Amino acid sequence: MTQEAIAGFQPRRPARFNFQQSESILGYLMVSPLVICILLLVVYPFIFAIQISFTDRVVGSDGQFIGFTNYINLTKKPDFQASIRNTIVMVTAIQTIKLGLGLGLATLLNQQIRGRQFWRGLILLPWAMPAFVAFITWKLLYAPQGGAFNYILINLGLVTTHVDFLSTKELAMPSVIVASVWRGFPFWVISFLAAMQSVPRELYESAALDGANAWKRFLNVTLPGIRHVVLVVSLISTIQTTNSFEAVWLLTGGGPSNATMTFPVLAYYGLQSLRIGEASAVSVSLLPVFAVLALIVAVRLQKDD
Amino acid sequence: MFDKPAVWQKFMYYTLLLVVAIVILFPVYFMFMVSLKQPKDIYRTPSLLPLNASLKNYEELITEDNFFVNVGNSLLVAGASTFVSVLFSSMAAYSLVRLKYLYRNWIGRLILFTYLTPSGMLFIPLSVMISRLQLGNTLHGLIFVYLTFAAPLSTWLLMGYFRSIPFELDEQAMVDGATRFQAFYRIVLPLTGPGLVAVSVFTFTAAWNELLYALIFITSPSLQTVPVAISRLITGDVFRWGLIMAASMFAALPVMLLYYLAQRFVVQGLAAGAVKG
Repeated sequence: MTQEAIAGFQPRRPARFNFQQSESILGYLMVSPLVICILLLVVYPFIFAIQISFTDRVVGSDGQFIGFTNYINLTKKPDFQASIRNTIVMVTAIQTIKLGLGLGLATLLNQQIRGRQFWRGLILLPWAMPAFVAFITWKLLYAPQGGAFNYILINLGLVTTHVDFLSTKELAMPSVIVASVWRGFPFWVISFLAAMQSVPRELYESAALDGANAWKRFLNVTLPGIRHVVLVVSLISTIQTTNSFEAVWLLTGGGPSNATMTFPVLAYYGLQSLRIGEASAVSVSLLPVFAVLALIVAVRLQKDD
Repeated sequence: MFDKPAVWQKFMYYTLLLVVAIVILFPVYFMFMVSLKQPKDIYRTPSLLPLNASLKNYEELITEDNFFVNVGNSLLVAGASTFVSVLFSSMAAYSLVRLKYLYRNWIGRLILFTYLTPSGMLFIPLSVMISRLQLGNTLHGLIFVYLTFAAPLSTWLLMGYFRSIPFELDEQAMVDGATRFQAFYRIVLPLTGPGLVAVSVFTFTAAWNELLYALIFITSPSLQTVPVAISRLITGDVFRWGLIMAASMFAALPVMLLYYLAQRFVVQGLAAGAVKG
C-alpha cells in the first residue's frame, strides 16, 4: 500500500522540486562548517563578552551579576576617560590624514605618470609589511639613543638635547599618529586609485568640453564616481583603527601617564590584571560605535549585490 | 587629465612622488641598516650610513635555537589556519553564490559582520573560552582562534571570485552528468586558482603577522610565534636594536615577497571582493 501511495504521489511532484531540494540541502551542508565556526568563535564570544561585562568576574571565579557597576566605575577611572579622549583624537587625526593623502596620491597616480605600476608597488610597501614590524621599526626611528630622527635633528642643529618622542606627554600622541598613518595610507591610495580608474573617461571628456577645469572635474566627476569606495574604505578602516592594538602597544604601551591609552590596550591591561568583568566592559563600551559603522558598511555593500 | 601635462606640472608630479618615495623607503632603509650594526656602533657612533656593517646579528639569529622554534610555530599556525579557512570558506562561498536556499542572505550578512568584527572586541571572551577548553598555551588553540578573522575574510574574497565565473559553466557540467559538488571542485575551483592563491596569501600573511591573540594565549617561550618573540625583545631594559631589526627583516621579508607575488590578484581581489562587494 505504501508503495502504491508513493508511486501514485511521485509523478505529481514537479521534477524541479526534487532538484531544488537537493540543491538547498547541499547548500546548507557546504556552508555549515563555516557557520558553525562563526557561531562558536565569533557570535558566542560576542554575546559572552556582553554578559561578562555585567559581572564582577575575575580569573578563577565566574562572579556575580552586578548590573552596570563596571561601566559606572569605568567612567570614574582616569585611564578610561583618557581612552575615550585619545581614541577620538587619534582616530579623527589618522583618518583625516589618510583620507587626504589617499585622495591626493590616488589623483596624482591617475595622471599621465610614467611607471605607474612601479609607484603603486612602492606605495604598497608599508601595507605589505607586517604591522608589528612596522611599529617596532618606528619605535627605533623615534628612539632617543640610536634613533634616526634624533640623529637628524641634532645634526641639523634643530635641537641640542635628545628628544624622547614616545615618553614626552605632548609628543607621544602625534608620534603614534604619524606611524599609524605611514603604515595605513597605502590601502586608501590603492583602493581609491582602482576606483578612479573605473570612472568612465567619457565623463571627463564631456566635462572638459563644458569647460570644467581640473579642480571642477575632480569635484564633479571623480568624487561622485568614487564616493562609494571612499565611504566603504573609510568606515572599514575606522573600525580597524579604533580597535588597533599593535601601534599603541608597541610604541608607547599607552603611556606616558595614559597620554596614548586606547580601548584595546586598556582592555589588555585589564585582562593582565585578571579583572575580566571590568576588562570586558572596556571593550564592550565600543560596541555601539562598532555596530553603527558596521551596519552602514553592510547596507552599502549589500546594495551592490 | 587629458591635456598633456605642462613641463612644470610634470616637474611637480615627480617631485611629489620622490618625496613620497623617501618617506616610504627611509624607515625600511633604516631598519635594514641597523640590522647590520653592532650595539656599540648604534649607540656610540650613530649614523645614517651602514658603517662597520656585518652580518653578525643574522648569524646570532641563526645560531639561536629558539628563533627557529618560533619560526616553526608561526609556520605551523599560519599554515594550518590558512588551510582550514580556505577549505571551509571555498565551500561556503560557492554555496552562498551559486545555491539557493532559505536564509542564504542572512548567512551572507552574518559573515560580513564577522569580517568587520575586530579582534579587539573578541579577545577577552575568547581567552576565557580557550582556557576553559584547556586550549590555553597550545598552538591548536591559536589555530582555532585565527579562524575568527581568516575564514570570514577568505569567504568574502572568494565570493567575489566565484561571482566572476560564468554560471553557465556549472550548469553545462551538470547537463553533462556531473553532480553539483563535482561542478564545484572540478570546474569552478580550478578556475579560481589565482583567487585561491591570493586568498591563501592574504590569510597566511594575516596569521603570520598576528600579535594580540598570540600574546594572550601563548605563555611558554617554546610555543611563542615570531611576532610575540620579537615584541618581547623590546620590553627589556636594553634594546638590542641590531638583533631586533635582523629578526624583523627575517619575519617581514618572506611575507612581503609573497604579498608582492600575489599583489596582482590581491588588488583585483580587494576591488572585486572587499570593496565592490
